[in-house]
Amino acid sequence: MTLPGWTREPLVHFLVAGALLYAFFAWSGGNAVDPSSRVIEVGREEQAQLAVQFERTMGRSPTDAELDAQIEKFVRDEVLYREALRLGLDQGDAVVRRRMVSKMDMTASAAAEVAEPTVKQLKAYFKENAARYGNEVKVSFDQHYFDAQDEAIEALRNDSPGQAISLPAEMEEASLREIGDRFGTDFANTLSELEPGSRWQGPVRSGFGWHLVRVTDRSAGAPDFDSLRPRIENDWRSAQIETRKDRAFAILRDAYRVEIDR
Amino acid sequence: MKRAWQSFALASISALVLSGCDDLEAVDDVQRGDGEGAIELAEFPDRPYWGDTHLHTDNSVDAFGFGVRLGPEAALRFASGEEVTATTGAKARLSRPLDFLVIADHSDGLGATRRLYDAPRIGVVAQNDETLLRWYDMMHESPEQSQLAIAELITAAANDTLPAALRDPERQREATTEIWNAQLELLDRYNRPGVFTALAGFEWTLMPDGNNLHRVVMFRDGSDRTSQVLPYPGLGTTAEQLWDYMSAYEENTGGQALAIPHNSNLSNGLMFEMTMPDGSPMTAEYAAKRAEAEPVVEMTQIKGDSETHPFLSPNDEMAGFGVKGWELGNLPLTARSTPDMYAGSYVREALKRGLSLEEQLGVNPYAFGMIGATDSHTAMATGDEENFWGKHTGNEQANTDRANQPQNLGTRQGRFGWHYLAGGYAAAWARGNTRAEIFDAFQRREVYATTGPRMSVRVFGGFGFNESDWDGDWVRKGYTQGVPMGGELADSGEAPNFIISALKDPDGANLDRVQVVKGWLDASGDLREQVYDVVWSDMETRARSGGKVPAVGDTVDRATATYTNDIGAAELRSVWTDPDYAEGQRAFYYVRVLEIPTPRWTLFDAARFGITLSEEALADSVAQERAYTSPIWLNPSA
Repeated sequence: MTLPGWTREPLVHFLVAGALLYAFFAWSGGNAVDPSSRVIEVGREEQAQLAVQFERTMGRSPTDAELDAQIEKFVRDEVLYREALRLGLDQGDAVVRRRMVSKMDMTASAAAEVAEPTVKQLKAYFKENAARYGNEVKVSFDQHYFDAQDEAIEALRNDSPGQAISLPAEMEEASLREIGDRFGTDFANTLSELEPGSRWQGPVRSGFGWHLVRVTDRSAGAPDFDSLRPRIENDWRSAQIETRKDRAFAILRDAYRVEIDR
Repeated sequence: MKRAWQSFALASISALVLSGCDDLEAVDDVQRGDGEGAIELAEFPDRPYWGDTHLHTDNSVDAFGFGVRLGPEAALRFASGEEVTATTGAKARLSRPLDFLVIADHSDGLGATRRLYDAPRIGVVAQNDETLLRWYDMMHESPEQSQLAIAELITAAANDTLPAALRDPERQREATTEIWNAQLELLDRYNRPGVFTALAGFEWTLMPDGNNLHRVVMFRDGSDRTSQVLPYPGLGTTAEQLWDYMSAYEENTGGQALAIPHNSNLSNGLMFEMTMPDGSPMTAEYAAKRAEAEPVVEMTQIKGDSETHPFLSPNDEMAGFGVKGWELGNLPLTARSTPDMYAGSYVREALKRGLSLEEQLGVNPYAFGMIGATDSHTAMATGDEENFWGKHTGNEQANTDRANQPQNLGTRQGRFGWHYLAGGYAAAWARGNTRAEIFDAFQRREVYATTGPRMSVRVFGGFGFNESDWDGDWVRKGYTQGVPMGGELADSGEAPNFIISALKDPDGANLDRVQVVKGWLDASGDLREQVYDVVWSDMETRARSGGKVPAVGDTVDRATATYTNDIGAAELRSVWTDPDYAEGQRAFYYVRVLEIPTPRWTLFDAARFGITLSEEALADSVAQERAYTSPIWLNPSA
């Protein structure tokens, strides 16, 4: 099915869906409840729903008598509900209010949860959020450990070996995350800025002490769309849900003038 | 006819919403499977991977009622390092991502409170259950009322008086299937071999009379296998039935599952009994089933630490961490604890009992490894003191006075906010970060517990280690000539020795000391224990006096919740030989590593929010965080 681009705009979906719902409920008597109407229709569909509900609870279909009892209960609730609306009991009720608010939020976001993005949409999202997927820096390095800074400085001058510690003496093409996990976050950040070469540099501080470091290679591989695809789709989806809620609210909010006494 | 129009209108809306569909495969096969062959593996496990195996989301019956509105997706995002908005509104993220996560929502009433909450009131009325309707109304009234409703619900579960709609698994089956399958699909989507491992699991919540016998069940497999079962209900079942469920899963699917007991400290002595649950003598068959199903136990988490109690270990001056408050009674505090119950409630004693049972039955039901976890009910897995998000949504950071508040939900008298620990983590020594590798590390017990900090702790047991091994590839020697944590040694007629290395958390506090905890069955059949200080910081200046190593000191500034690493050591290592070895003795040895004193979450709260801690809370606001390794067992030669 080919549709013009605007039909894919979430905002349009929301507005159209909202308009349809509004029109539909207005026409069908407002959620089937018009406080001024004293006619209660219990059609086949309502009866089927009651039967399903019964079955979920009891694990079997209701007998005719049981269904009749369910209908009676439904009618009783409906009568009382309409009378309550007539009396305005829904006004100023925190429970009712909260429930309506969450229903509105869900209406706005439900579509995003099932929507399937196109490759084009994902690529656009990927481009917009390039920073998030980063140019992943990978570093290869050797290190010598010292518990004191002056010993490390001394060793750099004399080319003397480091002290024993249970850390890798070298790492190959390690991500900053991997380096951070082993040596600490600050060490990883410092390392990402050192120039590769054959000379020993430092001392660089880690969570353990001081290190002389020889960075043998540093590469910043461009993030690859295909390999990141599932993650991008996840992120896109989450972003859509938030955006829809916010935008839907913003549109509705625009129609209101709020006056706050200061 | 109106109905036709209704259907048409709804169909039109759906069509619009779904337009733009495209045949896309967002999750590849590698993500779906158990990760075998997915990435290149190291020759030997080369680093610990960090994770939480015990996290609740809004699908848990209590977590939802406590107020959480974050689901499994937010949980996965948070654990893998992304920022999420906590239920109470603030932005939250981990300073360092986790490597793996098990979402362990309660199997009983999976999603039930959310369904109850979302149900139209008429639907609840139709259930014809006053309690259910009252809880429904309380949940909608306010967060406080909702928390009270859930406290009532937990007590009702403990007393087996839950409304039928929440109790009967058959009635829940349809809804449970839907949630479980959606979750499995989500886990596959977030499972990224080599980067982040998302494992399926659930919590099995048996608690006769409120005595906690809970287990977390975790699976090794992807949705192709896990979708063939549903989480097993805790109410009305027994642990043996759970193990049967697990072995049936393994037989039918070719997959693997294991169960992790937790909060034995709240079991009033029932978790690690010397007998069968009905009081009859334990059978070898029962012991073997238990050993097979439960290789690992959760040693420490938000609801206290279960290593040992000062009553059981009077000579262990470091015993009693995370015991306050929790020692008072069972989970809902409907029954008080008495000291005679402690032996069946704490892990060290259980390890000892296991030796005795093995002597009698030929099989050890309690030969487990150790992990830490959070048991957070906020969908956010954090065990970090400076980033504590509470046990549940009611004590997230938005509630600034949470440390001082009584936790008297329902009948919870006598427990206060400050009794909560920030929670722990599990460390798994694995060759790579995949479902198979992480699970297998649990299965062979090559895992350890920490109370939050990420220190790297390594121990190998054998008979030929010596100090000169440090100059060579001691890890290779450990694996090829000894056994790692979780392993077993056969008595060789000489004292076993252990090569031990503990590295501090690179972004955390220095280390105070490394200890070996030994438990054994002596010649007269009595169970004994001994804690040995093996290596500590500044040994030259901190000489033992009166047989004890002097305290390391304390750099914590109570006003600002800060500390310095001016004391302690970056790494402590030692080759240690058991000085009290006797031939033919059954024994276990585990390593306990202590950090220097650091602020607890309560002190961070005080400094951050400007609240004044109660006297008791302030006295407990600084602690020595720790790691516990899985034991190495010494068995008599065959």
